[in-house]
Amino acid sequence: MTVDEKATPLGVSIPAPPSRLGQTATAVVVGVVLLASAADLDIDWGEVWSIPGQIQRYGRLMFTDPDWERLPRALFETWRSVSMAWLGAILCVVLSIPLGMLAAHGVGPTWLRLTLRAVFAVIRAVPEVVIALLLLTVTGLTPLTGMLALGIAGIGTQAKWVYEAVESVDDGAPEAVVAAGGAIAELARWALWPAVAPALTSFALYRFEINIRTSAVLGLIGAGGIGSMLSNYTNFRQWNTVGMLLVVVITATMIIDAISGRIRRRIMEGAKQ
Amino acid sequence: MTDQHEVGPGADVASPTSWSIHLNDVSVTYPNGTTALRNVSLDIPAGEMVSIVGLSGSGKSTLIRAMNGLVPITTGTVAVGPHEVTHLRGRQLRQLRGHIGMIFQGFNLAERTSVFRNVMVGRFADTPTYRTLLGVSSERDRDLVFAGLDSVGMLDKVWTRASDLSGGQKQRVAIARALAQGPSVMLADEPVASLDPPTAHSVMNDLRRINGERGLTVLVNLHLIDLAQQYTTRMIGLRAGEIVFDGPAAEAMESDFEHIYGRPIKSNDKLAN
Amino acid sequence: MTDTAPTVWELPPKPTNRARIALIVGAIATFTTLTCLPVIGGVELDFASLVDNWRNGARLGREFLQPDLNFLPRTYGPMLETLQMAVVGAGVAAVLSVPLTLWAARQTNPRLATRQPVRFMINVVRAIPDLVYATVLVAVIGVGPLPGLITLILFDIGIVVKLVSEAIDAGEHPYMEAGMAAGGTQVQINRGVVLAQSWPFFTNQWLYVLELNVRISAILGVVGAGGIGRLISERRAFFAYDDVGAIVLEILVVVIVIELFSNFLRRRLT
Repeated sequence: MTVDEKATPLGVSIPAPPSRLGQTATAVVVGVVLLASAADLDIDWGEVWSIPGQIQRYGRLMFTDPDWERLPRALFETWRSVSMAWLGAILCVVLSIPLGMLAAHGVGPTWLRLTLRAVFAVIRAVPEVVIALLLLTVTGLTPLTGMLALGIAGIGTQAKWVYEAVESVDDGAPEAVVAAGGAIAELARWALWPAVAPALTSFALYRFEINIRTSAVLGLIGAGGIGSMLSNYTNFRQWNTVGMLLVVVITATMIIDAISGRIRRRIMEGAKQ
Repeated sequence: MTDQHEVGPGADVASPTSWSIHLNDVSVTYPNGTTALRNVSLDIPAGEMVSIVGLSGSGKSTLIRAMNGLVPITTGTVAVGPHEVTHLRGRQLRQLRGHIGMIFQGFNLAERTSVFRNVMVGRFADTPTYRTLLGVSSERDRDLVFAGLDSVGMLDKVWTRASDLSGGQKQRVAIARALAQGPSVMLADEPVASLDPPTAHSVMNDLRRINGERGLTVLVNLHLIDLAQQYTTRMIGLRAGEIVFDGPAAEAMESDFEHIYGRPIKSNDKLAN
Repeated sequence: MTDTAPTVWELPPKPTNRARIALIVGAIATFTTLTCLPVIGGVELDFASLVDNWRNGARLGREFLQPDLNFLPRTYGPMLETLQMAVVGAGVAAVLSVPLTLWAARQTNPRLATRQPVRFMINVVRAIPDLVYATVLVAVIGVGPLPGLITLILFDIGIVVKLVSEAIDAGEHPYMEAGMAAGGTQVQINRGVVLAQSWPFFTNQWLYVLELNVRISAILGVVGAGGIGRLISERRAFFAYDDVGAIVLEILVVVIVIELFSNFLRRRLT
């Protein structure tokens, strides 16, 4: 792209705009992939237009007269889901803090670090529902299964956050402990823990928030809690109960998110001082 | 390979008539209680180049923003050209702003996008919203953008990303943006405060040249004495929201500046050589 | 050992948070106890049954870890459907997320009256787990990939709008003042400059959501919403854990490939 500085009597010369070829090519490829995928899907696209109408109809069936009589049972099941989420979060955090710390640079030997990180990546890639389905054989279709599934499946992401937090700590304190002759355990307790404690606590609460949603999902595949109640009544096509259950799920999730979010913010603000 | 683009004859030659500015007993008090302007009355005839001098906190920023409605006025009236700013809202206010070009200390460019798009912002007032939404610009819009850039000598950089420019170049692009509006008034809020001395001089020169060539009314907020005296014909001194000096810039003496600043002159009140 | 008396130091009072820590620990302990009480709905920690079933589980676990790769050809069709759902879902959600995000962010939409409803709706949408959407939609629309696709779109929109609008609000946008001074409408400023400035936030979240979609769409089939999930459910019900192992391995490979592809695209686009 050269610039001709000579101004013509009637006008001026503008440099040529940069080539848009790369951008256009990407857009075309993305567009083709999207359209090809959509076309190949076993969906009757003509039917799509009726969806909003259908959703409206069912929405009315669900929410105009929700089944409040079953609310006590719904709350009982909600507590079950919350318990699964809470205990699963505790399990996950308890396992992922030491494992995560070991997987951080400068803590353990390289072979250990790489192996652990690979394990975390694999756990991360496998959907939690699959882990729960696999655990069903050992523990049966119970909330305990749900709790274990939540605890184990979460290690993948949780441990990653732990080692990322540990690695972002300033080197000063860990160096001092090592120089004074400290071993890994002392390193963890005196240098790493105080620095990362606020972040880890925050992550633990966030894991609880995530688990609340996942526990409802596990309930749908039979682990108990509000999910199984939802699954049952949806199969029975009892829409007014389904509507009530959805309201319960949404409200419980939003309340817990709000409370947990506020606590997390206070922790992080306290940490900054 | 150049893109020979013929700019139509009407593009940058015909400038709209420049406007006068009248402030009548204007006071501005912010919601938090601070009174920024007290009973300011001002008459600026069309085509004058005026500097507004004062310490930070004297009300310069408020004064200049009162003229295009960026700051609401508590009492009094502001008239720019044939329009009364005080009661304008919505579409009428936007149309008025289209006739008033403004540049800022921080340049206020969108850093991640090209110079072209940044200058095209100046065409917003004249473009129906649907066109902006579709991302199509008219031939005339493009002409005005190129012409604006050409008059500040930045045409060769039209496709450059804004963040790749130096401070002085960015301010020039901002001037081009204002010129693309086809304005009747040019407002400049501390345009050179972030620039080094040679660049500051060159930008002030551009402003003076625009005032001379197009007869455009120009108002510049400055905190440097020598720039005010060197580049503007009339100087207005603000102190604590009130006008304490109004006269030919060249004739202002050190005692006048001390009166405006409320303290003796310091070395950093003048631009270093 | 000397005979001198131990030194008595006059120390300043040690700052303690004793009361506060005790309160927090107490609250956590109480909460945890309540979650372990089956009578009010807590989890029954029946580790005895765990031990009983362990041998059974170990056998199946061994089968799982020796995946039957001959089963793979049967998975290709459903896996393709999974990927197609993920891609189309992310694409549609990307398009819809742009106006919604601009409505939801305070800096691009100063009008509270139009912003609050959008934000509230997004929070509600985010409060519903993916499989819950799928279950209800399957009951409404019927079995197949369509309920799965709609689930993904809703789920993705929730994520993108929330995260990008927060990113927009957390940043500084001084160029907006220039747009207002030039006489532009909020919509013009948003489309003309804000979008270009925020583009990296969008593309980042779109790619994240694409990765997420692959994992989610893999299990939506468990409730009948299309994808490979139905096959997982079916094979598990027959206790064919070597087949399940093969499917999980395939999912792993696909997820990793998508992640690599997504990282490649991220570097290209930023």
